[in-house]
Amino acid sequence: MADSALLNLVLWLPFAGMLALALLPAARAELIRGLSLALMAVQFALVAWLVARFDPAQGLQFATDLPWIPDWGVHYRIGLDGYNVLLVALTAFLGPLVVLGAQRAVTKDLKLFHAMIQGIQFAMLGTFLAQDLFVFYVFWEAMLIPMFLIIGIWGGERRVYATMKFVLYTAFGSILMLAALIYLVWTLNQTTGVRSFAFADLIGLNLPLDAQLWLLAAFGLSFAIKVPMVPLHTWLPDAHVEAPTTGSVILAGVLLKMGTYGFLKLGFPLFPEATRELAPWLMGLSVAGILYGACLALVQDDIKKVIAYSSISHLGYVMIGLLSFELVGIQGAIVQMVSHGLVAGGLFLMVGMIYERCHSRKIADYGGLAKLMPLYSVAFLLLTLASVGLPTTSGFTGEFMALLGAFAAGWKAQAAGDSLMLVYAVLAVLGVVLGALYMLRLAGALLFGAERAPHAPLNDLDGRERAILVAILAAVFWLGLAPGPALELTEGAAREYRAIVLGHAATEGGQ
Amino acid sequence: MNVGAILIGMLPEHLLLGGVVTLMLAEIAGRREAGFAIALGAVLAALAAAGWMALTGFAGTPFPGHLSVDALAVTGKLLVLGLAFPVLLVSRDDFRDTRYYALLLSSLYGASLIPAAESFTTLFLAIELLSLPVYVLVMIGMQRPGGTEAALKYLVLGSTATAMLLMGISLLYGVTGSMAITAFADGLSGGQPLALAGAALVVLALLLKSAIVPFHAWAPDAYEAACVPVTAHMASIVKSGALLAALTVIGTTTLPASLLMLIATLALASMAWGNLAAIGQAGFRRLFAYSSIAHAGYLWFAFLGAGEGRSEAIVYYLIAYALMGLVAFSALPRGTDDAREDRLAALQGLFHRQPLAAVLLAAAMLSLAGLPPLPGFVAKFLVFQNVLAAGHVALAVLGLLASYLGLYVYLRVVQALFMAESPADASARPRALAWLALTLTALPAGWLMFFPGSVLGLL
Repeated sequence: MADSALLNLVLWLPFAGMLALALLPAARAELIRGLSLALMAVQFALVAWLVARFDPAQGLQFATDLPWIPDWGVHYRIGLDGYNVLLVALTAFLGPLVVLGAQRAVTKDLKLFHAMIQGIQFAMLGTFLAQDLFVFYVFWEAMLIPMFLIIGIWGGERRVYATMKFVLYTAFGSILMLAALIYLVWTLNQTTGVRSFAFADLIGLNLPLDAQLWLLAAFGLSFAIKVPMVPLHTWLPDAHVEAPTTGSVILAGVLLKMGTYGFLKLGFPLFPEATRELAPWLMGLSVAGILYGACLALVQDDIKKVIAYSSISHLGYVMIGLLSFELVGIQGAIVQMVSHGLVAGGLFLMVGMIYERCHSRKIADYGGLAKLMPLYSVAFLLLTLASVGLPTTSGFTGEFMALLGAFAAGWKAQAAGDSLMLVYAVLAVLGVVLGALYMLRLAGALLFGAERAPHAPLNDLDGRERAILVAILAAVFWLGLAPGPALELTEGAAREYRAIVLGHAATEGGQ
Repeated sequence: MNVGAILIGMLPEHLLLGGVVTLMLAEIAGRREAGFAIALGAVLAALAAAGWMALTGFAGTPFPGHLSVDALAVTGKLLVLGLAFPVLLVSRDDFRDTRYYALLLSSLYGASLIPAAESFTTLFLAIELLSLPVYVLVMIGMQRPGGTEAALKYLVLGSTATAMLLMGISLLYGVTGSMAITAFADGLSGGQPLALAGAALVVLALLLKSAIVPFHAWAPDAYEAACVPVTAHMASIVKSGALLAALTVIGTTTLPASLLMLIATLALASMAWGNLAAIGQAGFRRLFAYSSIAHAGYLWFAFLGAGEGRSEAIVYYLIAYALMGLVAFSALPRGTDDAREDRLAALQGLFHRQPLAAVLLAAAMLSLAGLPPLPGFVAKFLVFQNVLAAGHVALAVLGLLASYLGLYVYLRVVQALFMAESPADASARPRALAWLALTLTALPAGWLMFFPGSVLGLL
């Protein structure tokens, strides 16, 4: 009981923080920064405590269930389970780093900035923790408002265009999800007489295939825009490039996981038959995303754009892991989500650090940083290697397991006479090669060659920046060297997901 | 005649009438500056009376066959009178004479009467009493050179609605031989073409009063020409009055497919056109008028739902919509030059001048856009849920897509508030009493955001 109260505290702490920040006098910049950081640190400590007490053998834990709109069967249901535990940890882990990272970069409207950081933290945690579709949708949409302001106020030159595009894109998916959600709950009521939005009630619903296909299309469109999957990705480069460093870190670190998490927790388990029906198509789109994102990353001249397009590529692995329906692939997908959050988040923070010094993001402006900023270069290289998926880093664990899952599924399909899945798996491996190419090209151009920077002399990393990068690198290597505990946490959920998505097939086959 | 029932059942209206009479006496006595205080007293007393009726679960029939007070009627009264309080508060600085308040109270009397109407005679009187003073109110502020023209346009189109309503009532009377509101349902159940024509005319008249496409053209002009308090009155109380009238007439009646399709088509057209046309507007009140056209579309969409759910959906929507509209109007910076302040450009950078007003104005805009967790979301959800549950899946999806079109407009206002530089000459700020109105509307809106269940449970 006490633990579920603690989880509520974790969720509502940033909300309370938002209100508290609003009441502070705008002139007290240090106080605002300090409070924001303290709130995030406390939140991370609480999450760490809860994750440590999380029992992998059980499903939903630390749950709260209170009636919210009783007439409709909407309950405030939140809880920690194998699906969200790592992502909640990731969100809480990145929280303090995001605040620290913005320490120097943001001076305009400081109070609003930190209030919005707390606000988006609240919305993101709520989306992960929600166990009720209505609550999930409310938090899902609530993420838009703070992000709209973060990109639109503190972003680059084309910030208004980018933020409008971001919101209009994502809201379009959401509106269709809303229609599907209403239909789904209404169908539940029609068939069983239960008025409920609980995931647990909705997942057991046995819909006819054509309804499943429509609903998956609606939910899937919303999630696919968020992932983003090719061809719905065009908002991402704009949003990433125009967003301030903080916005990019939140986007890459957590927000992009919303799409894949949505598929994992809701999209696929709610509509298993349709998922199996569409899996080859979705797999094809994911592989296309891996390759297309990688190819585009190869030719960018802006550091942020390289990382933005690499995100499209890396999240493709999450999708193929989820769609392999193999335990190892699913677990790999979850680890890859966390890994990408850490690595891409870290890389964006590092872009921010160099941008603060030189006010340029052009690759051509830099060279020989290894001599100018040795510490920076070491950290950048390590994150690059993690992004490439070198063994001992988290990127390896995630991508390797996801690919392993894809291959396992491919062999099975091959044995059944369908070689398409195997072809996809092979193509996805090609993405790893391309990934090495564009990331090493970026690192090579920045770190080696003639010493060149738009603003000399350059100071190497200061204590604050070192602390941020040490924390991220520690997590990256921890997941790479000892992924055991993390995999243990998610194993139950991965098994459950697999059973739900494949389960109906087994019964069908028996008929 | 039951004197007791007349006295108590119409107590809020009596108090409003008392206010109007006192205002006239004050005018005669030359105490024109007392107008605001008298009106405020009358509205608060009427609100208290309606509140007492709601708490005691009052039900009575002051005029059998014409006027009957039930739970829904009390809720409707409570809604319009509750909205009248903030409207009055934003009026004080623009109008310090008695005429304005006498007209406002008369209009309010009509609005308060509408949900209790049991016969078309009463309903007709109530609607006219609601509308006639507003024609004058649009003109009285004379903020714009085009004010008279806009008022005339409103009057002519309003009179067209009146004519259609009368024609429809006569046709229904011709078929059923009754002036009771139930003649609408009885006529429709008979299935005669004449009755259908009558019902359609009544519906069309009410659509015109709610500013539904293609009968919407009066709204942008009237909203723009009137001054802020009158626009606030039109956007909240008059809109509620029109919808409550529709709810009184249609109620839980099962509509024939032809009428249903008529409503669905026009409502969808309103949502789409209101949202699209709002994009091009440079003035805030004109933008709000187009937004109100779109919202009238959502409100009328609720009639596609099953009979029992309609009143809950419409009343909840009206509460959320009118509250957030009033939040927006109270938060508007006001100075001396209305034409300049009404421009959207005048709102640029408001966050840096008036952070709280800007935040609340932005919240109002996003609520109108229907973004969760703001109150507008649950309201929209309820409407579309009912439409879908009635089996109109395709229409519900189309409606949701049409509502998506509106997002850009509201985001543009938020963008102006937060992401633009202040104009050099910006000195306008919300007025003192408007802050009180803002508090009075923002607090219940906040309650609605966190505890929608508590209000839905009451409806």
